[in-house]
Amino acid sequence: MSTINRITAAGVAAAVTLTAAACSSGTGASSGGGKALRVAAVATDRAGTEAVIKAFKQDNPGVEITASYSDTDQYQGTLRTQLSSGTAPDVFFAWPGNGNPGAIQVLAPTGYLADLSGRSWTSQVPAGIKPVTQVGGKTYIIPLTFVGIGALYNKKALDEVGGKTPTTWTETLALCDAAKAKGKVAFALGNQTDWVTQLVDYALVPTTVYAADKDFDQRMQSGAATFAGSGWKTAMDKYLEMDKRGCFSKDPLGTSFETSVAQLAEGKAVAAVQVTSTLNQLKSQAEQGTEFGMFPLPATDDAAETRMPGAAGGAFAMNAKAKNPDLASKFIDFLATPKAMNLYAQATGNLPSFPNDQYKAEPALQPLVDFQKAGKTVPFMDQLWPNPKVQQAHFTGVQNLFAGKADPAEVLKEMDETYQQK
Amino acid sequence: MSGPHAEEVTARVKAHRHRRVPVWFAFPALALYVFVVLVPSAQGATFAFTDWDGLNPAKHFVGLANFRELWSDPAARGALRQTLIIAVAVTVVQNALGLALALGVNSLVRSRFVLRVLLFAPAVMTPVVTAALWKYMLAPEGAVNGLLGSVGLGSWRQNWLGEPDLALGSVIGVIVWQFAGYSMVIFLAGLQGIPADVQEAAAVDGAGAWQRFRRIVLPLLAPAMTINLMLSVIGGLKLFDQVWVMTAGGPGDSTETLSTLMYKNAFQFNEYGYSVALAIVLAVFVAVLSSGQYALLRRQERAAR
Repeated sequence: MSTINRITAAGVAAAVTLTAAACSSGTGASSGGGKALRVAAVATDRAGTEAVIKAFKQDNPGVEITASYSDTDQYQGTLRTQLSSGTAPDVFFAWPGNGNPGAIQVLAPTGYLADLSGRSWTSQVPAGIKPVTQVGGKTYIIPLTFVGIGALYNKKALDEVGGKTPTTWTETLALCDAAKAKGKVAFALGNQTDWVTQLVDYALVPTTVYAADKDFDQRMQSGAATFAGSGWKTAMDKYLEMDKRGCFSKDPLGTSFETSVAQLAEGKAVAAVQVTSTLNQLKSQAEQGTEFGMFPLPATDDAAETRMPGAAGGAFAMNAKAKNPDLASKFIDFLATPKAMNLYAQATGNLPSFPNDQYKAEPALQPLVDFQKAGKTVPFMDQLWPNPKVQQAHFTGVQNLFAGKADPAEVLKEMDETYQQK
Repeated sequence: MSGPHAEEVTARVKAHRHRRVPVWFAFPALALYVFVVLVPSAQGATFAFTDWDGLNPAKHFVGLANFRELWSDPAARGALRQTLIIAVAVTVVQNALGLALALGVNSLVRSRFVLRVLLFAPAVMTPVVTAALWKYMLAPEGAVNGLLGSVGLGSWRQNWLGEPDLALGSVIGVIVWQFAGYSMVIFLAGLQGIPADVQEAAAVDGAGAWQRFRRIVLPLLAPAMTINLMLSVIGGLKLFDQVWVMTAGGPGDSTETLSTLMYKNAFQFNEYGYSVALAIVLAVFVAVLSSGQYALLRRQERAAR
C-alpha cells in the first residue's frame, strides 16, 4: 500500500504539471491531395458551417471536406495548440478584432494566418465592420454574419402582461412593473453563466457612450478616456437600477443561461437581453407557434439616441500553411458569395455580414436590419479591447455587483487597470 | 543443527528475491513513466520561466518574474485560500462521514448490502455529470429549494450557487456527497479486516462500545485512514471539474481554485507561462503537503501496531 501511496502522490504531482504542459501535443490527421480540405468551427456555428460545406461540395464534386466542431473554450485552446504545432486545419473559425484568445488581433501577428487582402471580395466588406476584419491594414478573415444584441421577447407573454415594446428608459421600467404585477419577470437573466453578465451593459453602452462619443475607442487607446469616467458608469448604474426595480429573474447569479432561455421560451419571462443567435435556440425550446420579436434596449428617454450593438460574428480565416492553399482560397471566396453567406446566416439565426437583396430576414430581426441600414450600430465593445482580461474583469465585476460586493466605480476601475496591461 | 541454518538461508534468499525481482519487473513501466510523464512534465515546467503566450513561436526567458507576479497577484492568493479551504473541509467532512457510514453498513442491519451499493453509487458517476445535475438542483427554482418549500422549510431556501458566501460551501457539499461513499468503501475494507474475536475478547473483558472503537477499531483502521486522508487531500487540492461546471469560479471569484485559475490563464488570458508557474506551485504544494501528511500518518500507523 505504501508504494501505491507514493506512486499516487508522485503521479498526481506530475499530472498537475502536465495539465498545462501536455497541451503542446496536437493531433495531426492530415492528408495531402488536391481535393481534401480540413475545416474547424465552434459548436455554436455548426449548423451554418455544415450548410455552406454542403453547398460547396455540390458546386465542386469530388471535393472531400473534413469538419470538426467543439465548444468555444475548447475550440480556442485546441486551435492555438494546433497552430503552434503546425497541425491546424486549412480553414478555421476565428473571431473578429481582439479580446479573446481566438481573435485575429491575437492570431495574426504570429504569422499563422494567411493574408486575404488580395481577394476580390475585400472591397465589399461594410465599413462598419471592416476595422475588426483587419490587423495592421491587412485583411485576415471573411466575416459571414452580422450579430446583434437586443431584447428578444415572447409576444404572447408581452400581451399577457398588457405591455408594449418600450422605446424609452421610462417605458422599460414600466414594462418591468407591468410584468411584476402579473407574476412574471420582464427580463430573464442568467448571470451564473459568465458571458451572459456582459449583455445588458453591451446593450446600454452604445447609447450611453457611443451615441455622443463615436471615437471613444480611439480615445481609450490613446489613454485620453477611461471606463470609469465615461457613459459606462451610467450603463452600470442603470443595470443595477433594473435589478433593484425587479426587472430580472429572481437570483440572477444562481440562474444559468440555459435556465434563462427556458424562462423566456415558456413565457415566464417577457424578454431577455441576448445575442440574436439565441433566437434559434429559443424557437427550438418553445411550444410550436410561439412568436418572438426583438427591440433595442433603450437607455435614455429620447428614442432617437438609442443605438444597438451589432458586429461581425462568425468569420473564417485561412491557415498560412494550408496543405492545399488553392482549394482553401476557393472555399474562402465561396464563403464571400451571397449564396453562402445567406445559407450561413439563415442556419445560425443572424444577418449576412454583406447586406444583400436575396436575403429574407427573419421578421424578428427587422430592428437590427433597420439599425444596420441607418448606421446606428456599434461593434461589440470587447472586439476593440487590447486583451482578454478586460472582458474577464467585466464578467467578474458584474457578478460582484449583483452580489453586492462591489460598486460600478470599483468594477470600472478594475477594468481600466486591466486595459492598461499589454 | 541443519534446521535453523537452512531456515536462515531460506529467509535470506526470500529477502534477496523480495528485493531484486520487483525492480526488474518494474523497468518497462518505469521507462514508460519516465518518457511519457516525467520528461514531458520537466520540459513543460520550463515554460514557467518564459513569457510564452501559448501561441507565438517566439518566447523570452523572464527568470522568476512569473513566480514574483504570483505572490503579488490577489487572484492567485484568493485561489490559494479557496483551494486550502476546500481541501481541508473535504478531507475532514468526507472522511468523518465515510467512517460513520462504514461503521453503519458494517453492522448487521438487514439492508446493509443495498445501502452499500446506494452509498457508493455517486462515486462511480463522472464528476462532470453529477456537477451538472447539482447545478440544476441548486438553482433558485431548482429541486433542492422546491423540496425545502414543500416540507415547510421555505425559510431555508437559498441561492445556493449564486451567493458568494454560500457557493464555496455548496461546492464542498456536492464533493462530499459524491465521494463520501468512496471513503466508506475503503474504511469498510479496513473494518472487515479486523478480527471479530479481538473485539469479542475486549467485550468479555468489559470494554464498552466506545472503548472498543477507540482502542481497537480506530488503531487497526490506521492504514485505511492513511489512504483515505491522502486521496481526499490530493483530490481537494487539485479540484477542477466540479467547480468549473457548477460555478466556473464565480460568482465574482468566490470559488476560484488554483486549477480553475490555471486554466483561465493558459486558455483564456494567453498567459501560458504564468499558468505553468501556477501549476508548478500547485504541484509543489501537493507534493509537500501529501508527503508530510504521509510521514505523519505512517508514524501513527507504526505506533498503533
